[in-house]
Amino acid sequence: MSNAPHILVIDDEPQIQRAIRTILTEKGFRVTTASRGEEGLTLAATNEPDIIILDLGLPDMDGVEVCTRLREWTQCPIIILSVRDSERDKVAALDKGADDYLTKPFGIEELLARVRVALRHSTSRQGTQSKVINAGSLMIDLAWHIVKRGDEEIKLTGTEYKLLAYLAANHGRVLTHQNILTQVWGPADADHTEYLRVYMRQLRKKLEADPERPQYILTEPGIGYRFISDE
Amino acid sequence: MNSTNMRSSTFISHFWNYIISFGLIAFVTAMFFVLRDALDTTLIALLYLIPLGLITALWGLGPGITSALVTFLAFNYFFISPFYTFTVHRPTDVVILVVFLIVAIVISQLVGRTQASFAAATSREREATQLYELSTALAGLHNDHVISEILAKQVQDVSQGEAVELDITGMQPFVFRLPDVTPPTRSPELTVLIQTVRDVLGEIRLWRAAPAISLEEKRLLETFASQGALALERARLAQAESRARVLEESDHLKSILLSSVSHELRTPLSTIKAASSSLRANEISWDSPARAELIAAIDDEADHLNMLVGNLLDMSRIESGALKPKREWNILPEIVGSVLARMRHSVEEHKLEIDVPESLPFVPVDYVQMEQVFTNLVSNSLKYAPSNTVIRIRANIEGETIHVQVSNQGPHVPPEHLERIFDKFYRITAADRVTGTGLGLSICKGIIEAHGGRIWAENVSDGFAFNFTLPLTWEGAPPPHFPMDTETE
Repeated sequence: MSNAPHILVIDDEPQIQRAIRTILTEKGFRVTTASRGEEGLTLAATNEPDIIILDLGLPDMDGVEVCTRLREWTQCPIIILSVRDSERDKVAALDKGADDYLTKPFGIEELLARVRVALRHSTSRQGTQSKVINAGSLMIDLAWHIVKRGDEEIKLTGTEYKLLAYLAANHGRVLTHQNILTQVWGPADADHTEYLRVYMRQLRKKLEADPERPQYILTEPGIGYRFISDE
Repeated sequence: MNSTNMRSSTFISHFWNYIISFGLIAFVTAMFFVLRDALDTTLIALLYLIPLGLITALWGLGPGITSALVTFLAFNYFFISPFYTFTVHRPTDVVILVVFLIVAIVISQLVGRTQASFAAATSREREATQLYELSTALAGLHNDHVISEILAKQVQDVSQGEAVELDITGMQPFVFRLPDVTPPTRSPELTVLIQTVRDVLGEIRLWRAAPAISLEEKRLLETFASQGALALERARLAQAESRARVLEESDHLKSILLSSVSHELRTPLSTIKAASSSLRANEISWDSPARAELIAAIDDEADHLNMLVGNLLDMSRIESGALKPKREWNILPEIVGSVLARMRHSVEEHKLEIDVPESLPFVPVDYVQMEQVFTNLVSNSLKYAPSNTVIRIRANIEGETIHVQVSNQGPHVPPEHLERIFDKFYRITAADRVTGTGLGLSICKGIIEAHGGRIWAENVSDGFAFNFTLPLTWEGAPPPHFPMDTETE
């Protein structure tokens, strides 16, 4: 049991703590809870959790600040919880190093999916990154720069490939507009969301069966994009 | 004019009064001397009273008494035997001197009293005029700053001081200065409280080293202060009243909101409560299909609740002006596509016709908010339009704006309702058929207007349509174009 992944939940609302603890314990995780930012930072340092679930609306500290302070010394995946309509805070936290987010109220499948992705990325940071990403009939070979749908190879432009490769390498995770723009186009173009809109549209037309109802590249409204793989 | 100058000028004018008095007596004495054979001594004494009375009346007690003495000496010297000496032989002659003196004193007193009462009347009249002017200027004013400005100007006009400062206390304290510079560092020569019966509302400070502030001036300025206090109090009462009225109105709106909201919130809550309690009580067997149905109901109703709460939050944000679009250059077909993908289960019973061309330029909008506009307009159309009818979304460029229409084949709306359907809590049909907080359309209106656009509803030949426009420019900049790379790897 001691090998079970350890999750630290920092949230000031007892009902949310209770729900998350019950569900995650049932799924075989070890769960520690903190209801304040300072307490959370201390527990993160002493317990070395595998994942931190952090609410952005804490009574004593700004959640983004907690994120920043955690990132000063740990690469432990951080999943932030927040209410709807606080896209700016979410984006700020994601740009400060949070890995993913969940909007309250959230379904349990979503929570578990985020936790799984976070665990996978925390192990892949330790070196075992897969070079081939499969998503439905799509196959993306990051080593050989090949994208196939079924047996048919899809021709992508240089920028399209860079974009897809970055999304696929981070499959399952949300990537903010700014993050993608900085990685694919460079820091100077970090504000040109329109580049992203146009290229995403082209990419979806080439990859998705129905570009209006994408299965692989999902839009996270107001935040960014997420690539969904089979894993 | 400084004080030394002023004092010397009064001294000179007094000096001249004496010279003229003595001249007059000399002139009269000369006339009597010429006529002395025709005039009896007693008559001469009597006639001397005329210049004496004049002098006293014109220049007051000092010249009067001096003149009385001089007159007596002249009378004695020229007209009483032995002539050309100041010797007095008869006691009656002393009586004449005493009479001269009494006449001078009595007349000067009478004249002095008249002059004083005249001066008092004039100054009272001036004060009354100034007070009248002040109260007229202050009448009907509801702004503390304007009141202070007028009061300070009036104080300055009347006192001709070096500086006037009004220190107004209260919820928004401030200091008004005339002239608008830092006043002298010394403490003010006069400080008057602006106070009502209940409260001190501030203070008037006046700097005027000279001439020293007289009691009358102090009294007048105190009257000004109390006029100012009345005006300030009136202004504060009026402000309090209008605040109270606004509060009352918003209170009324809030109670409508609360009743509407509690009704709307209770419906999904009832479903959730019924479903979860029956699951908990083990009344439904594990393999019954009803079980899955109840669980789905809980899930759906929780989503519904979440949507209601979201609508309320949006509305309060629109009301408080906190809804600021986070604009970016967006692709309209992408927004429409994503909304319809999310709503695909709800739109199954209707036919969708989408005419939002790929060739449209970028639109400078908040992605999330525009998604919400389309979601609300489409779900409103779904509520009112019968199944299997067409819901159409169309967008085209009109000059520097983009025009979007969401139309359905639902019933016409009476023309008098067309404007009001965007009002909060407004419903055209009976609430039993249609659910929702009545906020969806007013949220659309709030969002479109925050984007600088316009939204309206109209009846069309085969149904009903929502229209809105959005500007295509963003801070004056037209939609961007950029070259796409087309070569493949």
